This record gives sequence, C-alpha cells and structure tokens, in this order.
Amino acid sequence: MNFNHDLHIEQRKSIWGLTLLLSVIFIGCIGDDIIFDEVEPVVRIVNPIDSLALGSNYQFIYRYFDRTGQEVDLAGGMWVSDNPTSISITTEGLATAEASGSAIISVEIQSEDGTNVQAEQLVHVGTTTTTSSQLRTGTLRTTSSYVLQGDFSAEQMGTSVLLSLNDNYEASSNLPGLYLYLTNNPNSTNNALEVGAVETFKGAHSYEIENIDVNDYSHLLYYCKPFRVKVGDGAFE
Amino acid sequence: MEHLNKVIRILEGGRPTRRANPVGRILLVGLVLQISCLAFAGGGWPQPKGIGYFKLSEWWIVADQHYTDAGRIDPNITNGLFNTSLYAEYGFTNRLTGILHFPIFSRNYFNNQVSGTTGEVIKAGEALNSIGDANLGLKYGVSKQESPVAISVTLTLGLPLGESAGGTEGSLQTGDGEFNQMLQVDAGVSFGTSDVPLYANAYFGANNRTNDFSDELRYGLELGAGLADQKLWLIGRLQGITSLKNGKTAAEITSTSVFANNAEILSAGLEVNYYITEKWGVSAGFAAPLSGEIIFAAPAYSVGVFHDMK
Repeated sequence: MNFNHDLHIEQRKSIWGLTLLLSVIFIGCIGDDIIFDEVEPVVRIVNPIDSLALGSNYQFIYRYFDRTGQEVDLAGGMWVSDNPTSISITTEGLATAEASGSAIISVEIQSEDGTNVQAEQLVHVGTTTTTSSQLRTGTLRTTSSYVLQGDFSAEQMGTSVLLSLNDNYEASSNLPGLYLYLTNNPNSTNNALEVGAVETFKGAHSYEIENIDVNDYSHLLYYCKPFRVKVGDGAFE
Repeated sequence: MEHLNKVIRILEGGRPTRRANPVGRILLVGLVLQISCLAFAGGGWPQPKGIGYFKLSEWWIVADQHYTDAGRIDPNITNGLFNTSLYAEYGFTNRLTGILHFPIFSRNYFNNQVSGTTGEVIKAGEALNSIGDANLGLKYGVSKQESPVAISVTLTLGLPLGESAGGTEGSLQTGDGEFNQMLQVDAGVSFGTSDVPLYANAYFGANNRTNDFSDELRYGLELGAGLADQKLWLIGRLQGITSLKNGKTAAEITSTSVFANNAEILSAGLEVNYYITEKWGVSAGFAAPLSGEIIFAAPAYSVGVFHDMK
C-alpha cells in the first residue's frame, strides 16, 4: 500500500466494517455479581412475655430465619423450661405457670444444615401475664465510606410500629435513592421490607410502619437502591 | 517533502495537521454521563478552512467500585457503559471550527445480583440502549498563525439527547438530562525536532450546568509526540474536573439521574494514533482515575477509526 495514497473504497469499507464489528463485540453483556449474603440462621421468640399469671397458660411462638435471612416454616422446634416446677412447657410451646418462681424458656431447632439454633427468655410467675417490652432499640453504623450514625428505637403501636431516629442521627445526603429497609439480613434487601426513601438526613424523625410486629425484623438497613450500594445498618438489641 | 513541511509548520507554531485526537475527549465520566464528553477538540489549533477530522470510536467503562463523597473507594453493583460515537471537526474558516460529538449508540447496564448463599438471582440485571448526549461546539482561533502559542476559545453546548432515568429504578443512564454550556480556552505549543515533533496543550474551561446540577471547572494538559515519520502519535493526558458544588445534592432531588452531581475527578490517560495511510488511521487509548468524588473508580478504554482530511 502506498502511504501517500488514500485507501481504496473497498479498504475504507473494511475499516468501517471493522469498526462496526468492534462496536458489536464491545457491547457489554450483563454478568453476575455475587453478593455475600450469608447470615447465621436464627430462631426468634416472637411473642415474648416477662411474667405469666400463676395457674394460667401461654402459647409461645417461634419463627425461624435461614442463612439468607428468609423466614422458613421449619417444624420441629423443641420447647423446654429449665425450671418446670415453676413454669412447665410442652414441646409445642404451651407454657403453664405452676408455682411461684421463674424459668428460662427456650426453643431449639435444627437448621437445614444440621446445626442447632436456640432462643431463650426469662419468665417470672406473677399475678398477671405481661408481655415483654414492645420497645426495641439499636445503633446505626456505617459499613461504607458514607456517613451513617445515630440511635434508633422501634415501638409497637397496636398493629403498627413507630420507628424513631434520635437527635444524633446523620446520613450522607450525597447518594441518590437512599432507602431504609427492615430486614433479617443486613447484607441484602432480598425479603426486606422497604420502609421508604430517606428524606431526613440529620436529626430526629420517625416512620410509622403499618401491619408489622416489632419483632418481625432484626436490622435496619440503609441502602442506595438505584446503584445497589449498602451504606450501613443497625441491629435491634 | 510534504512531511517535512508539516513538521516545519508545527515547529513554527502553526496548525499541525496531525495532533492529538480524541480518545481523551471523553473523560472518565462519572456514574454515568453527568460529566459530558469533553473534547480537546484540536487543542489550541482550529482546523484550516475546508479541512476536517472525523472519527468513529467505541468508548467503554465497566466499574464495580466508585469514589465516595469522601474520596474513598467503595464497591457498587457492576455498571457498564459503552458508547459508539461519531466525532467531527470541520474548519468553516481558518479560525472557526465546528465540532460535533454524537454517541449514536449508548448502552448502560447493571449486572445481575446473585446470592452467594443460594445462587439465586436476587435482582436481575438491566440494560438501557439509546443514543447518548451530544456535544456541539464552535472553536475560534484567537492567535495568529505565526504565533508561537496557539490559543483558541471553544463554546460547547451539551444536548441531553440520551436517556437519564432508564430501568426499573431509573438509574440506567445514557445521558444526564441537562443542557450545559462550556466555555474553554486552549493554549498549545509545538516543539521538538523534525524527526520527533512534539506538542503540548493546556486547557481550562467553565461548564455551566442546568437542572440544579453543580457548575464545574475543567482543566487538562496534553503532551504528544509524532514518531515513525508522523505516522504514529503517542499522547499523554492529565485531566481534571472540580465541582463548584453549587447545585443540589442527590438527596435534595429525588431523581437518581443526579448521582454524579458534584462529581470530581483527576485522571491520567494514554492514547496511540496510527496513520495507516495519509488520511486514515486507527487509535486506542485508556484513562485511569487518580482521585475523585462520586464517580466511578475504574479505567475507561477506547478504540476508533479516524479520517483526517489534512
């Protein structure tokens, strides 16, 4: 080829064709991003009580959450009392206050991979049956380079939960689409309850969340929804 | 003899016919196109009257991390942006050059999000295909032809032809959804020897953005060297964007399209241009970020075919 001469028409076509071919080749294909979303499986007593009236019965209920934080209807949970003289309990979770005193009521279940998980609660025998405090608290922490901090609480209000962020709350306002979730897996929004878009980035504020129980979730999760970036979380204590 | 004349023109500070071009016109843009394509557009040298430069190129970036507002690097879902673009410069007069950059096909996608525990797709990936935001510009050569320093002023209009809120979350973007106007001053000098002609170009620009985007200052330095009888040009670039942060934050505007508002970056790049014939050539380049805020932390690449009328 003579450098001082233009390409022939056919050669020009080849160049443009090559470019178009490159364009097609370089068109990005959607791949997979693996999310490390494994958490410890847990069993949770979802209707805890502090005291049980002498001579009365109470049916405890548990819920099981697997390694992804998803609730699984897993049968076979075994209820036991460490002091059946005061509070006896059937393996199905029906407790009876037999005499004054207290007992640790626990439930144990075998997870899908064969490990045992357990939850327990101290219950006193009293004159009345009182449910445990329906107020749960926690502290936010950032898991990214974006600011997220502050204390929070969640309180059962009938059929809804009032989620309150305290005065010391602060979140970065430089992310778009920052959303708040309630979840049992702080590593993923899968199976999480989307509370809504974050609109307050500093100071006290609250959310009223309908038709949930205060014991339904274990964590708050702050997540940049459009770009799928976890900002931080906070565990209920 | 023809080549020697070109070298002499370069050494005399004239308008070199072979110089930097434009992989680096497209900066390492942020999440996604908010930082619209920037052109050296010939640096301080306008095109001679009736002479043009045209390029068809593919530019892409695939990033699974980004610079946060604190300048640190955090992970994000893998995001890819591929642009097939036409670029053209044409000299209306010896001082006035028209410039067009038009992404004729732009593709933005997110990867699938897959559970590492179960292998199930938690959230399916999405893609957006469309044309992209275009830039129209006019460059005016301020300095005289014999001036040792070629100075030009360029007005660029950013046209939001792309899609700024695609996908189910509105976060897929092939454009930023805003008109912008940028005024840029370039100053270039030619030096070196007849065997290895060199040039340097510096620019400074102010980018006025609408729709509550922050305005920006843009700056850059480019060094180029002609080798192999000017068939091969090696170019190095350092480019930066500083946000004036006078717009709204992402949180103040619910649209996700302002993700890259207040973005800043300093990037370094290399580009190779090779003239296969007198007027046709190919190019390849990359640019890597050195620092940034609210912007992808990944290198950008490009390849292209150009036609230089000269």
